[in-house]
Amino acid sequence: MEIQLQLAALCAEAAAALAGVASMNELSDLKAKYLGKKGPFAEFMTQMKALPNEEKPRFGALVNESKNNVNALFEARREALEAAEVAKKLEGEAIDVTLPGRNVKSGVRHLLTRTIDEIEDLFVGMGYTVKEGPEIEQDLYNFEMLNLPKAHPARDMQDSFYISEELLLRTHTSPVQVRTLLEAGGRKPVKIICPGKVYRRDDDDMTHSHQFMQVEALVVDTDVTLADLKGTLLVLARKMFGEDRQIRLRPSFFPFTEPSVEVDVTCHKCNGKGCPMCKGSGWIEILGAGMVNNAVLEATGYDPKVYQGFALGMGVERIAILKHGIDDIRNFYVNDLRFNRQFR
Amino acid sequence: MRVSLNWLRELVDVELDGPGLVKRFNLMSAEIEGYGKMSTATKLAVGHVLTCIPHPDSDHLHVTTVDVGTETLQIVCGAPNVAAGQKVIVALEGAVLPGDFKIKKSKIRGVESNGMICSLDELGIDHKYHQEDGIHVLPDQAVAGSDPLRQLCFDDEVIELDLTPNRGDLLSMMGVAHDVAAMLDGKTTFVSPQVSETAEANPVAVSSLSGDCRSYYARVVRGVKIAQSPAWMKARLIAAGIRPINNVVDITNYVMLETGQPLHAFDCDKVKTDRIVVRAAGADTVFTTLDGKERVLLPEDLVITDGERPIALAGVMGGRDTEVGEQTENILLESAVFDGIRIRKTSKRLDLRSEASIRFERGLDPARTKLACDRAAELFAKLAGGRALRGVSVYESQNLAPLSVKLPIAKIASVTGRAYQAAELADVWNRLDFAYDYADGVFTVHVPTRRPDVRTYQDLIEEAVRISGYQLIPTTLHAAAFNGHLTDTQKARRLIRNTLSSLGLDEVVTYSLVAPDVATAFDLDQQPAVRLLHPMTEERSVLRHSLVPSLLGVLEYNRKRKAEDVRLFELGKRYSLSEEVELVSGVLTGNCQESTWQGKTDPFDFFAVKGILEALFAALSVKNVRYVKPARVGSMLHPGVTAELVAGTRKIGILGKLHPNESSLRDLPDTFVFELEFAALLAASAPQLIMKEIARFPAVRRDLAVVVDRAVEAQAIVDSLVKAGKPTLSDVAVFDLYEGEGIEAGKKSIALALTFQDYAKTLETAEIDAAVARLLKALARDTGAALRS
Repeated sequence: MEIQLQLAALCAEAAAALAGVASMNELSDLKAKYLGKKGPFAEFMTQMKALPNEEKPRFGALVNESKNNVNALFEARREALEAAEVAKKLEGEAIDVTLPGRNVKSGVRHLLTRTIDEIEDLFVGMGYTVKEGPEIEQDLYNFEMLNLPKAHPARDMQDSFYISEELLLRTHTSPVQVRTLLEAGGRKPVKIICPGKVYRRDDDDMTHSHQFMQVEALVVDTDVTLADLKGTLLVLARKMFGEDRQIRLRPSFFPFTEPSVEVDVTCHKCNGKGCPMCKGSGWIEILGAGMVNNAVLEATGYDPKVYQGFALGMGVERIAILKHGIDDIRNFYVNDLRFNRQFR
Repeated sequence: MRVSLNWLRELVDVELDGPGLVKRFNLMSAEIEGYGKMSTATKLAVGHVLTCIPHPDSDHLHVTTVDVGTETLQIVCGAPNVAAGQKVIVALEGAVLPGDFKIKKSKIRGVESNGMICSLDELGIDHKYHQEDGIHVLPDQAVAGSDPLRQLCFDDEVIELDLTPNRGDLLSMMGVAHDVAAMLDGKTTFVSPQVSETAEANPVAVSSLSGDCRSYYARVVRGVKIAQSPAWMKARLIAAGIRPINNVVDITNYVMLETGQPLHAFDCDKVKTDRIVVRAAGADTVFTTLDGKERVLLPEDLVITDGERPIALAGVMGGRDTEVGEQTENILLESAVFDGIRIRKTSKRLDLRSEASIRFERGLDPARTKLACDRAAELFAKLAGGRALRGVSVYESQNLAPLSVKLPIAKIASVTGRAYQAAELADVWNRLDFAYDYADGVFTVHVPTRRPDVRTYQDLIEEAVRISGYQLIPTTLHAAAFNGHLTDTQKARRLIRNTLSSLGLDEVVTYSLVAPDVATAFDLDQQPAVRLLHPMTEERSVLRHSLVPSLLGVLEYNRKRKAEDVRLFELGKRYSLSEEVELVSGVLTGNCQESTWQGKTDPFDFFAVKGILEALFAALSVKNVRYVKPARVGSMLHPGVTAELVAGTRKIGILGKLHPNESSLRDLPDTFVFELEFAALLAASAPQLIMKEIARFPAVRRDLAVVVDRAVEAQAIVDSLVKAGKPTLSDVAVFDLYEGEGIEAGKKSIALALTFQDYAKTLETAEIDAAVARLLKALARDTGAALRS
């Protein structure tokens, strides 16, 4: 069995030589040396010719087996070398992942239009449609049909931006309600909100703006109650200021609603305990509301014996100011990007 | 309305505590504007100045010894009017005066001082109410050591009500007392005035020639002696915010506060006749009011006359010629109701709004016109020694009967969503002191004239709900099913906002009102902008025609604050009397790709902004927008770098570079602006609804470079190819532009990628070659382009 010993020694020698191989070139040189045409295995095969025929198959099988083993050793070594080479290449490609990403600019929506979207979505979910109207409005729709006759103190020429005797910049979005009721012709129920820009003759300061945004809601049907108004206000207060909020109603006065109420919500900063935000009262006034005055229903062709409704109106700036802790209403219109970009 | 709690206590039979009352008012009646003590000063005592000598080391200070009841203190006083023998107000050591001013023992220029002798200002009484300089001197009978606030009747609390215009009834202590009685379930304790009249009859005859005078009551009071009012009356006037003057004027103001009925006192001896005729001013065009000012009257202003000439501007101000003065002995007292709107117009025009004019505006209780007249006569007798002549002169046209309003119980349930019991409602009417009948589920409430705001069943419901409490109302949601949705227009508006902000633009909201030159700055043909009748400032006097100037303003503002790359957009309107047009506008400057650590910067150019708009159009499914060189460009845009955007035949907007003159004026780098019409965009939007087949055979791309005259627009080349390439040419894209070496002067080379697609088969090379040859021929014919060799 000399041949077996020789083959084993050869395999061991090749394995030892392979261990020292560090590059693909060395590997191919070594491979030529052991497995090439002039290598030891080729040599064994030539020896085989001299053997008797009956010994040839066994001898050949032994040599081939060893050769295959050595070949496998070379393959393994080659894969290892390749893997090392790839690893080295990848290491060279390593980056500092903490460097900033390439800037893909994204802008920000204005806080007011976003707040309006939020309010719209809430009301649309409750079955309201969104109605719009002109900002240059007729006195008739802005005041007269809302139970604010010409001599009413609340509609002083000095308080509104008049363009002519009969035209003015609307002072609230209520004229959209009037227009919608007139369109509905006194027969159909109405469930709408009216967002938009409004104008009042105020000097701009921390809490006043000659232009601001309002969202008003109006529901007219045969069975709309003050309790429905209260429920709607609660949903609104909780959506805008948090699920734990409570509301309370206080008597107020608007010519177009009767009864009229101011709506307070428990302070979201102190949860009603009293803090500087709510001036210690635990309550924050958020909006005005009421049951639609019969005079408005009559003026728009609705029979108050059949129909009744509620209306509510909020200043969008006020909601945003309260919600986001904004200290000056003018921020909304200055558009300092350091302000605008805070609200993503 | 500022309400003295001490005064209120005389008018209701219930215990009042300030904080509790404040809460009730807020929840049941009127909003509270303020609440506090008349004076917050503590540790005060009446002092008797025993000695007063000049300070040894000062030319204006005095050193006094003051008996404060329990001890005698040395106090250094700086007031020039301090003198021995006076009764004064002393703030003792440890006292805290308004403004958190603590009184301590101290040495003033070496002399020990153990307290402070006070002025009324130092007690927190505004100077306008007393106009005293120096320390306040109390009457001699004040007892040393006693409480000076009590002496002055300043030991009171004041609640200030913020009244809504409907609650004119709360502009009187009687009205407030009625509401407090309702809130606290008590009763009012009013005392009818007692007038003892002389035998001599009141000779005055009263008449009115104007419908603006509803009633006029007059009394003549003889023998008054003008003096100061007693401390209690002064204190109550001050608490209410009215400056005490003298007993006669103070009584008219006091009774006005008490009853809500404004009064006016004429000096009877200065009224030339025994007649009072109320009429429109008519031909009397000038009148001197008691402040000495000449007032120009309009013919419709209401005046009180003596039958010949005006003696007062009704409800607004009396005349100088009949003014009550120090020498006045006989008084003609007016208690009248004038039309609120008339009074408001006159008082506003003359800038003479007053406590009286406000009350006329808000509406008076006709039942108190005579009452106030009698009450004043009673006080003239009590406090000024006056004697009322027998009888009241009367002109009366008002209805004094209560208004009966029906409220079915079922109605209040259907309006409020809560079933009120008849007994609950009866309790409310009782508390409000409204008489009522009840039968068959219907209340008939007889609303007294003091509540002109309660006229309909809705008003009664409000009274019932507020007095019984809003907390009783349940919380429900209207159950009827409605189809709530946003319209396509509303969705498109949101899509534009969200898309433009995703594309890197910041949304802004700016004012619609601007200066006239700003409003029209972006106009091609400058039409005057809609102007306000009474603008507050020229800067906000007209409605804008474009959002661009406002956006440029915001751009400048932010650039001045070190923002380099600014891109803004706004959705807003352009206004004219005939229409309001919604616009989508933007301004962009700086880099569209900011410089980074990788060093890449990419400043905005026309095509970067065009790319943004193309992305917006894609989001809106607006296809085939063409960019056309406009025939004219306004002065704000670069004439060579501006395009009109057209979809179909409709102009949808404009995109261009800000004119270099404008940019340098505003200190801006290259800036690009766009303004699109929202409705036009929406009209051009054509979302694909039906699926198109995906090609099953491969598309083939061929690239061509052609040379054309420089003036030929890329669009013309594309149009020519698209037209000639039907049906297999499926896409044409420009991918390179070259001018310069190798290209003849005045020409340019344009490289085009052509994509061919047949839906029925794979295109053969020969077919495409033939198509390209055909296209080149068409191109040469349409644009003069030749294949680049």
